[in-house]
This record gives sequence, C-alpha cells and structure tokens, in this order.
Amino acid sequence: MREAAEIAVGGLLAGSVFALVAVGFTLVYNVMGVPNLAQGAFVVLGALTMYSLETRLHWPLLIAALGSSAAVMGVGAAMERFVVRPARARLHTGEMLILLVGLLTFFEGAALLIWGSQPYSIPAFSGERPVVVGGIGVPTQAFWIVGITGAIVAVLWFILARTPFGKALRASAENPLAAGLMGVHVPRMTLFAFAAGAAIGAIGGEVLGPVTSIEFDTGRFFTNLGFVAFALGGMGSFFGAIAGGLGLGLAQQLTAGYVSSLFSNTLTLVLLLAVLIWRPGGLLGAGSPRREDVREAVPLPGGARSRLGGAPARALTAGGALIVAALPLLLGATGLVGSLVITGILFIAVMGLDLLMGYAGQVSLGQAGFMAVGGYTAAILATRYAVPPLLATGAGIVLTLAVALVLAIVTARLRGLYLALATLAFGLLVDSVAVGATNLTGGPSGIVGVPSFAAAGYTFASPLATYYLVWGMAAGLLVLLANLARSGYGRALLAIRADPTAARALGIRVPRYKVSVFLLSAGLASLAGSLYAFHFHFLSPEMVGTSRSIEMIAMLALGGERTLVGPLIGVALLTLLPTAFQPLALYKTLAEGLILILIMLYLPGGIFGGAAAALGRLGRGAVPRGPAVEGGRAS
Amino acid sequence: MTGAAALEARGLSKAFGGVLAIADVSFTVREGSLTAAIGPNGAGKTTLFNVLTNLYPADRGTVSCFGRSLRGLAPDAIAARGLVRTFQTARVFTGLTVLENVLVGGHLRSRAAPWQQALWLDPVRREERAMRGRAEALLDVAGLGARRDDPAAGLPLGAQKVLEIVRALMASPRVLLLDEPAAGLNDFETAELARLLLAVRSAGVTLMVVEHNMSLVMEIADEVLVLDLGRVIAHGSPAAVQADARVIEAYLGRGAT
Repeated sequence: MREAAEIAVGGLLAGSVFALVAVGFTLVYNVMGVPNLAQGAFVVLGALTMYSLETRLHWPLLIAALGSSAAVMGVGAAMERFVVRPARARLHTGEMLILLVGLLTFFEGAALLIWGSQPYSIPAFSGERPVVVGGIGVPTQAFWIVGITGAIVAVLWFILARTPFGKALRASAENPLAAGLMGVHVPRMTLFAFAAGAAIGAIGGEVLGPVTSIEFDTGRFFTNLGFVAFALGGMGSFFGAIAGGLGLGLAQQLTAGYVSSLFSNTLTLVLLLAVLIWRPGGLLGAGSPRREDVREAVPLPGGARSRLGGAPARALTAGGALIVAALPLLLGATGLVGSLVITGILFIAVMGLDLLMGYAGQVSLGQAGFMAVGGYTAAILATRYAVPPLLATGAGIVLTLAVALVLAIVTARLRGLYLALATLAFGLLVDSVAVGATNLTGGPSGIVGVPSFAAAGYTFASPLATYYLVWGMAAGLLVLLANLARSGYGRALLAIRADPTAARALGIRVPRYKVSVFLLSAGLASLAGSLYAFHFHFLSPEMVGTSRSIEMIAMLALGGERTLVGPLIGVALLTLLPTAFQPLALYKTLAEGLILILIMLYLPGGIFGGAAAALGRLGRGAVPRGPAVEGGRAS
Repeated sequence: MTGAAALEARGLSKAFGGVLAIADVSFTVREGSLTAAIGPNGAGKTTLFNVLTNLYPADRGTVSCFGRSLRGLAPDAIAARGLVRTFQTARVFTGLTVLENVLVGGHLRSRAAPWQQALWLDPVRREERAMRGRAEALLDVAGLGARRDDPAAGLPLGAQKVLEIVRALMASPRVLLLDEPAAGLNDFETAELARLLLAVRSAGVTLMVVEHNMSLVMEIADEVLVLDLGRVIAHGSPAAVQADARVIEAYLGRGAT
C-alpha cells in the first residue's frame, strides 16, 4: 500500500512535467501542424538558467524563476522568428522535423558550452524537509510541481477557450489561410505559440530542477517522453496531452517499481506503438487524426533533384574509387583508418535511409533500431554460440527484415508525422530492450568480446583489412542502389513521394513499394549494425540508439538527399571532423546543430546537391548543351 | 457506333453523408468512341470518375471494363486492367523532370524485376531505352518535346495538364478518363488539346472526358452523357443532347424552353 502510494506520487511528479512538455508540443502543433521537437531543450534551458540566476547571481527565487522563464521565452520567440518562420514556407513536414532536431541539437551544444557537461540541481523552493502525508514523506517540491502545472493548464485553457485571442489561435490552427483572410495575424499566433510553449517548458524545468538532476543533453529525454505523452493523448488535444503525460509518468513508475527500472520505458513504448497502430487519434481520441497529411498535399517545391550525369559523374566515380582505394596507403597506421571504417559502415546505413527518406519520402526516426537488431543478433550469436560472423550477420539481417516487415505492415496506414512517430517509438523500444534485457545484451554496459569479421577462411583482424571489406561492400551496394534508383523502381518511389494518389492511378502498387523500400533500408541498417559490432568488438545501446538515428538523418540532410553518393559527404564530415579536431570536441554538438539548421534553411539539396547545381550552371555557361544537371529548388 | 462496350456502369450510387453525389448512374461507353460527360457544377462528374476508378468505393452498382467486372479492385489494379485516368487539378510529380514524369507512366509496361534493375542487366537497358524513345515521341506529338528536361512543376498549368495526359498515354490505356483537360487552357491550347484527343482516339484508345467547354465537347465528342444532381438526364449524340429539353432546363433553369 505504502509502496503503491509512493509510486503514485512519483508518477504524478514525473507525469506533471511530461504533461507540461506535451502541452508545449500541443500548443505549437495546433498552430503549425508540426510538433516542436526542440521543446525538451526549453526545459533544460529553463532549469539551468534558473540555477545560474539563483545560485550564482543570488537572485531571489521568484525573480530568478521569472527571469529564467522570460529569457527562455525570448529564445523560443527568436527561434520562431528567425528560423522556423522562414523555413515554414519552403519545407515539408519531414524536413521541418529535421530542422527542429537541428535546433534541439544546437540548444544542447549551447548549453554544453555555457554550463559544461556536469549535472545540476536547483535548491528546493521550500526547503528539503519532506511533508508527511498519510505515512509517506512527500517532498515539498511535489506541491510546487503539481500546483504550477495545474495553474498553467488552467490559464492556458482560459485563454484558448474563453478569449477572442484564443479563438483566433484556434482558427489559425484549423485553416491558416482562411484565418488570415478573416484578419487574424497568423504569424503573430505562431510566434505566441512558440514563445508560450518555450515559457511553459522553462517553468517545467524550473519546478522539476530540485527533484532531478539536469544536464545539457537532458532535453532529448524530455522531448522523447513529452512527445510520447503528446501522441498518447491524441496529437492536438490539451486534455489528452495532460492525461498522456500523467499516464506516462505513472506507467514509468509502475514498471520501475514492480519490474525493473531498466525497463521503465518499455511498457510505455509498447503502449504508444499500440495506440498509434489501433487508435492514431490517441487514447482519449481527439476526433479523427486530422492534419495527418495536410502538409504533404502541398506540392514539393519545384525543380528536379540535383544530380550529376554523363562525364562529370563518371569522372567523380572513378576519382572516388581511386581515393578510397589509396587513402589507407597515404594515411599509414594513423588512427584515421579506424574512423574511415566507421564512415564506410554508416554510409551503408545512410544510403538505405536515403532511399527511404529521400526517394520515397518516408520519415524514419528509428533507423538505428534496425542497426541494433542486426548488430545485437550478430554479436550475441558470434560470442555466445560461436556462429561464424558471416552467418551471424545473415541471421541478423533475416531477423531485422522480419521485424521491419511486421512494423511496415502494422504501420501501413500511417503517413508523415504518424509514421515518423511510430519509427521513433520503435527505435526507443529497441533501445530500452537493449538496456533492460541485461542477460541477453549485457544491458547498458554492452556486449563485449565480439570477434573480428571473417568470411571464407579469412579473418578481417586489422583495421586495414576491415577498411577494404567495408568499403568494398559500400561501393558494391552504391552501384546496385544507384542502378535501382535510376530505373523504374526509383522513379516509382519518387512518384509515390510526390503524389501517392496519382502514382496509384498509373498502376503503381504503392503499399508494396513502401514496404519493399522500408525492408531494403532496414536490411542495410542491419548490415551496418553487424559490421559495427565486428569492427569495435563491442556493442552498447548508445552506439545504436536514437541519437544515432538522428545523427544519420543529419548526415543525409548535410550531404544531400536523393543522391545516394551525397550522404557520403555528410557521413564523412560528421564522423571525421570530431576525430581530426579533438580539441574542438566541445563544439561538436553546437556545430552539428548549426550545420543542420543552416543546411535546411539555405541549402536544402545538401552539400552535394548544391555543388552539383553550381557545377551544372558552370557547365551550361561553357557549352551550349551542358551535362544533364538540374538546379536544386528553382521555384 | 458499333464497337463493343469498353466501359459499362450499372446502377452506380455514392453518397457522402446524406448527400447523394451520384444516384443510379448507368451508361455504356463504346470501344473507340469519345464520350463527354457534362453537367452543371455539382452534378457528380468528378465523383463518377472517382467511383469508376475505385478511388472511392461505390455504395451500389457495378463497373466493368471490356466485360470484366472491376468490383473490389484497387486503383492500381484498375489501371493495370487498362482503365487510366487524369485528375481535375493537374497532378504532375514535382521533383521529377517532364520526361521522368512520362516514364513513370510507363510503369505498367515495365517487365523488369527490381533485382534485374539493380544489376542493370541487358533487358533493363533495352527496356529503359525503348521507354525513353516512346516517351520522347509522345512528348513531341504533344508539343512538349523541347521541355522534356525541365522540372515538371515549373511548367505552366496548361502544359502540366497536357503532360498528365501524355503520362497517362504512356501506360498504354485501353480506356482513358480525362477530368476537365481543357480547364485553365487558352483558346490556342484548347485547339491543340482537341487535336491531341482526336489523335488519341484514332489510335484506338477509348476516351471519356469530363469537360465544361461546350464548344470543345460539341466539336470532338461522339456521345455526350449529361449529369444533373447525380443522375443521368440525357445520353446521346451531341446534336440530340443539345436539343434535349431536360438538358436545357438543367443548365438554364425552367422556363428557358
């Protein structure tokens, strides 16, 4: 009984903060149709700013809290005005999600620079002595958390339901164009939603600060769980978000209390996947799942995809192959060969991601989940049962394909944001199983003693041998996939991305293509995961966790979608730069975020796309009919 | 008009909520003919197309194409049976060039398996070359040859509508359904369109066209199907339909006769 009460209190506390983050998601989602994935960063910024103001500058509690909220609110408003608003007109839902992930990473990087990587805790508002209620000690901060959450919800409800401003806000959500025609200043509404969402997130961080420790990258955690709460409650419903947050908090505490804290998220994620599959409108059902693909219906900006053809492409291919073959000889025995192996491995996975996201337009935020399924299967088979690595890798791929097939079938009806969310939940679920199933996976500390890759009697023991193995595979796969992309298969994917209905009317079996490309990308990720484990002789959950999924999306965006080779640039930059500039490692997160933001804003074709377009213009200028290169986004 | 029944609808009905968009619609389109479906706004013309191609399943009634029922077939399977359509608002594939758009139309004619495509085997090469040749020829006929490497989304609206027709033709349809092909076209473009449609018909493709432009309809249609408030009110030759009292009433109101 006592235990149950403690669990209930703990769940209520954690749940309140998840609910606050989810309310922030809801606010922005309702005006923009895209959830603000940077929401979790506001929680962290709020808590850390509060810490600095109160502990370092010795501001009084209330002033510090208000000051911190105001500062974060300013950050939220600036983010809307200078990044989100200019991007909104040009980017579709999937690209907006990537941009927002970039912003989240950017805020994490900034927090790392300002506050360093140590955990912080704010002093409790009303002292550390718990109040005894019904035999159990409740920290005084609990009352602050629940009370302030309640107050925020009440004020927000009043504004939205009872004021003309709230009506205008809801109208902008329903139909921005019509609202604009009726005299509603829609950009101002979006600005308000972002600023208010940021302030709510900051307040959440401030009240939570005393009962948990907060680090620069805790934002990811809040974004994930707030997002889960937001989806559980039915995207777009305020009461759903609150119920989702509280339910999530309770479910977590229950699992932690009665099963294992390592599994605390597993139950929730299974629940989320179930909700997405059977009740996409959420548990409380905010009516039908609206706005699911509204944005997708807006035509993609014109302009054919950037690519090189003819002589420049052949020259590039030959040169690239030569460089790849000769590079290790030039580098000798430096540690860079190891980084190049990782580059090759991730390139294999990101090529698959390019087919899925770039060509077919399906957003996957859980690609590393497939790496994990493949990598862990191969690693476990090879270490525990001495299965030959080649066979173990094959088994990993088969299992991954089976898992991906099930996921593809159950999520077949989901599109856009819902699919992105389902893949995110899948990635987090795999992650939580890898952490929780300690007997099988070694838990958080990972699985050790994985042998080197071996095939046909040869063991790829040295980094150099692995280098040629990995790059041989990557080059072969690149050729196969490029052929696929330039023939009917690739055209069908592009048609599906642009307009699934029109594609079906031409006889393209859309579901079959979606499933096949999903399987293809999952299989490539699985192969990469296995190679990863064999190369490092080790595999841990964080190597193939959600951060890896996000990183691969960043690599894809940076290099250039729908080019297959372009992602290599992104993979190489994000893998090699931190190795080459060790002293600058502190700036890595900030730079990653900033690059992602700048690319999404100014170079949507990525580096390769931009370069191909520039080369094309050059070519056209020199010869009357230059190489077949199309500009990036013309209109 | 003596051809076999290329497209036959029997008792088609479709309601949205309580509103009957089409009610008990029956008609036959003969092979090799050009049938125009006309009617005032809201008569149910586009809904008829959507039901024929099973984009919306019909509440009641049957559709058959060359004597084979299309019941329960998905839109892509219906296209595979030879019934291909275009859309009221041009739906070109953005992000693809004009030529690539047409090549997507060739999807149904492609016989290459994905693994053959990945290996770029000889049959795939030959097929790609043949498809490209055919696509370029079709684009030339339609007057879009010079723009084949342009981004499709950059074409003017009229050219996009023509491109959509070319793309549908690439699928070698037996019956082609065109939803308002002349909407948004100027007089010159409309004349070009008429020429194209007549060429398509003389190539043996059966056509059914939803159209508002009466002079175009009267010029090219063999038969005219008139819908009003979801029901067929007349079906016959252009001259006969023009003289039909119910048609005049539907367009101009009672008392105009």
